[in-house]
Amino acid sequence: MKRILPVFIAVCAWSQSGIEVPSVGMIVDAAGNLRTVQGVAGNFLLGPAMASGVLSAACSEQLCLAKTNSKILSATGEVDAPPGPAVFGWHGETAVIFFPESRAFARWSDNTLQPFDWTVEGEVLSIHLGDDSIEIALRTDWAAETDGAVLLLPKGVLFATQEELILRRAGRSELRFELAGAEAITPMGPNYSAIRAGAAIYALRTEPGHEQLFLLPGGSP
Amino acid sequence: MKGILILTLLLPFAAHAQLALYLMNGSTEIPVGPALNMGQVAAGDTVSMRIRIRNTGASTANITRYSADGAGFSIDRPSLPFPVGPGSVQDALLNFSASNPAIYSASLQVTSSVNSLSTIAVATVVIGPVLTVFPACTGSDGPPPAIDFGRAQTGQPRLCNLYLRNPSAQEMTISTFQVAGAAFQLSSGPKPPFKIAAGETMAFVVGFSPNAAGSYTGALAIETRTYVLNGAAFDPPLPKPLLEFDSGSFQSSQQRRLTMRLATAAPAKASGFVNLAFLPDTTLVTDDSAVVFLATGTRTLPFSVAAGSTQITIGGQTSAMFQTGTSSGRIRFTISGISTDGDPTTVLTIPASLLSLDTTTATRRTGNLDIQAIGFDNTYSAGAMVFTFLDTSGQAVPPGAILADFTQAFRAFFSKTQTGSTFQVRVSFPVTGDTSGIAAVEMKLSNGAGTTTTRVAFQ
Repeated sequence: MKRILPVFIAVCAWSQSGIEVPSVGMIVDAAGNLRTVQGVAGNFLLGPAMASGVLSAACSEQLCLAKTNSKILSATGEVDAPPGPAVFGWHGETAVIFFPESRAFARWSDNTLQPFDWTVEGEVLSIHLGDDSIEIALRTDWAAETDGAVLLLPKGVLFATQEELILRRAGRSELRFELAGAEAITPMGPNYSAIRAGAAIYALRTEPGHEQLFLLPGGSP
Repeated sequence: MKGILILTLLLPFAAHAQLALYLMNGSTEIPVGPALNMGQVAAGDTVSMRIRIRNTGASTANITRYSADGAGFSIDRPSLPFPVGPGSVQDALLNFSASNPAIYSASLQVTSSVNSLSTIAVATVVIGPVLTVFPACTGSDGPPPAIDFGRAQTGQPRLCNLYLRNPSAQEMTISTFQVAGAAFQLSSGPKPPFKIAAGETMAFVVGFSPNAAGSYTGALAIETRTYVLNGAAFDPPLPKPLLEFDSGSFQSSQQRRLTMRLATAAPAKASGFVNLAFLPDTTLVTDDSAVVFLATGTRTLPFSVAAGSTQITIGGQTSAMFQTGTSSGRIRFTISGISTDGDPTTVLTIPASLLSLDTTTATRRTGNLDIQAIGFDNTYSAGAMVFTFLDTSGQAVPPGAILADFTQAFRAFFSKTQTGSTFQVRVSFPVTGDTSGIAAVEMKLSNGAGTTTTRVAFQ
């Protein structure tokens, strides 16, 4: 009966909803400009500056947020925010944001920023939102592993030592990438993390089975 | 008594009068007395002195006469009459030239509406030695007289043979005989003072030994005459740089590594530029902007090599990463800014390849099955697609293979973007009924190099 098929697929009614240049995500370049990263693995192009004076930025599959000294920028506009950089944690179109200078937390949802009363001790390295949980990586928790950057991923963690990037999956399997001097790791897009090392910005593809480290054009001396 | 009166009239111009006369030595004003000695001048040469009129008064002085009356003397000054305002100056050139040995004099006079000035200019013409310049150097009489050493390779001295002849009937003493200037030196010849007998010739050699590329000037001073020495230096050609790449076949969408070295050590410190250019196979686009050096996102990087080294640094690094883009064609590496012993141009061929998929997803919406593909087509000929939906057992769901042709859409997209052949395409299929039994879709995507087949599970 199943083979007789309760489903009908229109043979001629397919529609192609458009061809676009693929977007990989966004980065903050060495000059503090927010720039799109386009292309595919191994072939990247940086778009023009979309905003300047950007201190932090992060992208999920659904949207990107950027932090200037006093604003949160999104595709729909900007809202006032505590001063200084920000640490973003994503779940779909919702983000939890930590502002290190004021040590304040806020939730980003429906294009609004809502502070919430939360306190943590120590340096917040990364935030990850699960379906019903918030995971926060603190410097004290990671002191035994690294004194460098840490980024929590949906099913793992990416962190930098002095000589390497280590991508650790759930189950503690690890992939290591030779890279000295990594200073910061941020979520660049759904499948990539941006790693700043001096003036160079690298892109690590984190999609399982496709892990590879690339150098992004420009920004390196 | 008469003599005393004349001296009184001539002496204290600067001290008493509104107008004063000065000889300029660079920017220094030297008051001109009753006599101005222009010194010895070789027969046929021209000597010039800069003379300044300064108005120290509070009113404008109109100069109505400004002359140097005497054989061989002339003055370059503004047309008469001309004013000199309060506190202002006016410079002029006093020139002298004569062919016959003798003592010459002229009355230098300035007449104005406020006061007048007068002094005696004196010049002595002597027979000077005659210099002959032999090839490969060349000489010119000027002014100023000059000797050109031409172009020399750094590290390889160029010698200039010269003769100094005494054209007079008396023995000539040469007291001033020296070479000045970086890279120029007297390679052989007598030390001053020395004598040249009447009608005799003395040979000497001046060397030009530059140690870096560039233009050089110097001076050869012989008695009353100074010859300007000119020379240019160039670096020896660099041994042909060898451009080498990390191992593996070249394909689109790669980040590859370029290194440069010399087969033999560099004879001198050298620098230049390594450039890349891209020529696509297709006529649909003229370039692929992703083909760049990654360090700068540009197509040119500086390189340098130390003297005695074979290792070339590119942008200060031992190697340079570059992208191969997403177009089949040729990447051409060239060197500029330096001459090399052979053409180091290197061409990489990026072959046409099957359509490459970077990411594919298949999702269900109410009433639709959506397929998204991200990839590139380095032949710029994509468009023909076949979709076959599969049930959980891998069997094709009727109506079976569904053909779609997006060739025109892809051509329009590639022509418009000019950023390589990367693309993200979404295709939706309207459905009715229960789609939960549809597990996957098999896609066949064709381009000029063949057909790519992939199977994507619905999420």
